[in-house]
Amino acid sequence: MNTNRNVRLSRRDFLKLAGVGTAGLALSNYLAACAPAGSNTLNVLVPAAPDPAPPGVGQFSLDAFEQWKKDNGFEVAYEAPPWPQLHDKMAANFAAGQYVHDIIYMSGWVPEFADYLIDFTNDLPADLIADLPASSFSTLTWGGKRLGVIFTLSLLTMFYNTEMLEGIGVKEAPKTWDDLKGVAKELTGGGKYGWVLNYGAPEGIGGVASYWMCFLQQAGGKLYGDDGMPAFNNAAGVDSLQFMVDLMEFTDPGSLSYVGINDATNVFSAGQAAMMMNWPFMWKPANDPASSKVVGKVGSAILPAGPAGSASIDGTDAYTITKLSPNPEGARKLIEFYLDAEVQKRQVIDTGWLPIRLSVLNDPEVQAAAPNAATVLEQAQHPYDSYVTPDYNAVTTAIGVEIQKALAGTQSAQDAITTASDLVTEIVKKRG
Amino acid sequence: MQTSNNYNRSRYRLGIWFTAPAVIVLLIVLAYPIIASLVLSFLKVRFGGDGLTFAWHGVTNYTDLFTNQLFREALFRSVYFTVVEVAAVIFLALSVALMLNHPLGRSAFYRVVLLVPWALSPVANAVLWKWIYNANYGILNQSLIGLGLIKENIIWLGTPWLALNMILIADVWKAVPFIALLMLAGLQNIPSYLYKAARLDGANAWQQFVHVTLPGLKTTLVISVVLQSIWALKVFDLIYVLTKGSPADSTVLLNYLSWRETFSNLDVGYGAAIANVLFILMFMLALVYIRALRPRQTAQRDG
Repeated sequence: MNTNRNVRLSRRDFLKLAGVGTAGLALSNYLAACAPAGSNTLNVLVPAAPDPAPPGVGQFSLDAFEQWKKDNGFEVAYEAPPWPQLHDKMAANFAAGQYVHDIIYMSGWVPEFADYLIDFTNDLPADLIADLPASSFSTLTWGGKRLGVIFTLSLLTMFYNTEMLEGIGVKEAPKTWDDLKGVAKELTGGGKYGWVLNYGAPEGIGGVASYWMCFLQQAGGKLYGDDGMPAFNNAAGVDSLQFMVDLMEFTDPGSLSYVGINDATNVFSAGQAAMMMNWPFMWKPANDPASSKVVGKVGSAILPAGPAGSASIDGTDAYTITKLSPNPEGARKLIEFYLDAEVQKRQVIDTGWLPIRLSVLNDPEVQAAAPNAATVLEQAQHPYDSYVTPDYNAVTTAIGVEIQKALAGTQSAQDAITTASDLVTEIVKKRG
Repeated sequence: MQTSNNYNRSRYRLGIWFTAPAVIVLLIVLAYPIIASLVLSFLKVRFGGDGLTFAWHGVTNYTDLFTNQLFREALFRSVYFTVVEVAAVIFLALSVALMLNHPLGRSAFYRVVLLVPWALSPVANAVLWKWIYNANYGILNQSLIGLGLIKENIIWLGTPWLALNMILIADVWKAVPFIALLMLAGLQNIPSYLYKAARLDGANAWQQFVHVTLPGLKTTLVISVVLQSIWALKVFDLIYVLTKGSPADSTVLLNYLSWRETFSNLDVGYGAAIANVLFILMFMLALVYIRALRPRQTAQRDG
């Protein structure tokens, strides 16, 4: 018995089938496109916790967040990838030239994407603006516009293992470069190191070039001159790098391979390294018994002074509003909520990320929960320029690679600085 | 005769209608990006506030490319990485396939275990190796110290050539299973009577391997070499997670360089030019792949 059946399909039948298929696809696409972009939905791009994240991604002020949404009639749709993916995502979205997000977290990328952002800070309440450090807007100002608002005071400061320092009779953190080198030398040995940091990634804030910028400013140098051209091929530039090179002898050699701050933080939290510089969030995990062996033994201080004094860099964690946002008013209100004093307080108590509001920073409850807050405030009295520009990634990659060669001992500090200066000059000229 | 021609013509037309959706999808998802990438490589692309702005840049991106030392180094490293990886993967995969083809190795259990590295997602694989290579806590250092082979921790990802080769090892580990299964399928296609005849002629194991196994695996080997070359050329995940191109750009390969220029430095045209060089290399390998498959198809039709 022949079980094969001939199915006749005329051209008309085929076209009918194709039509039904196309209509089905179009309908599903239409429904998918409509769902997330309703007018009462604010789309927000932020990093996943434990990086600095707002309520709803970070586990704090959740009830207040629900209440805000109810009171204001908004839904908030978060996209929260790991921090390293943020820049790629926003670059791809901006390149598409279409609305994707209302609010975007930025870290040093404001000049790079300035044309895609709006200046909304003049519409923030006056009492809120007055409660923010004026200097917090410096890295967010480009072309005369303030294109975002910092939500956490995030400067690099020194963290040290009090037990290890006391073990060699040192009661407080090193105050100068010489102190730092001396203490690091004494504490290095037996599988332990005086210093640890992640020198593995060259670029961006938190890359090796940005760490060198701390030492550069401590040496009295600066990255750019008044003409906007590189101004670090001088004694300050070389001395600052030479200090990092000298410190390598007492640094966990793994530092050259650590590509993220958590790699270095783990070494410190395991009690394997005595000192490091880190962002303020470090205080909480380093004192959490679940993740740290140095609970209760963590000290915090401003970074040691070079020839020109102490200096740091700014993490520049900010919220911005995109130019294509259909609801900039709602986006601004949500940012105001993120900066509400009570939300800021819960931010530091529950996540360790310091607030930016001065009134909250000076709150006794906050200072008790985050004793390093006072240190960060003190660090803010010293220079902390991150030198962000539209080509910050290219600039820091060029500098970072040369610094890595010097730290690995394959070229001198002088050669590294000269080459880096030439490369940055080329990049700046290209900027046009 | 006329009816037969009409029938064939209508079958042919209907075939075109049926294949049209697939062709259209391929044009959208393959041809369009390839052409767009080619066009981008001749443009100066800027992020201009309303999407991107484009300006004709001629062949400048390509001339910049070939005068750029980092590109030349990345090209050399990519070729080195590909050659060494292909050699290592083919050797290991063939060894594994021979063991699995042995009566003692035919248990399905071994094949399932073999598939684990291949089944891991690329990023999970990279994170796994990141912990293995960790300078202070990595199992590699701990094991070697435990065995008395080294006295101090080695910074596996801290020196240029060592870091590149450690990435290579991690990539080989992931690539071996698939190629081994491919070879196993090839081995099982070799008729057993050839081995019997060889034994009757007095061939020892090595002679059987050289004169029966290797010729029988010729097509499989060519396909494996070509596929593995393409996969090795486009390695990205391991570099992104393990080293970010460090130390001192020593693990920057072409694919990573293209990503860095495009998404990190936002030099889209230059990044596209690098991607196109990579595409040409892969395209040439794909031609070899197609040619390797052709004799078998001809033989099947003739048969």
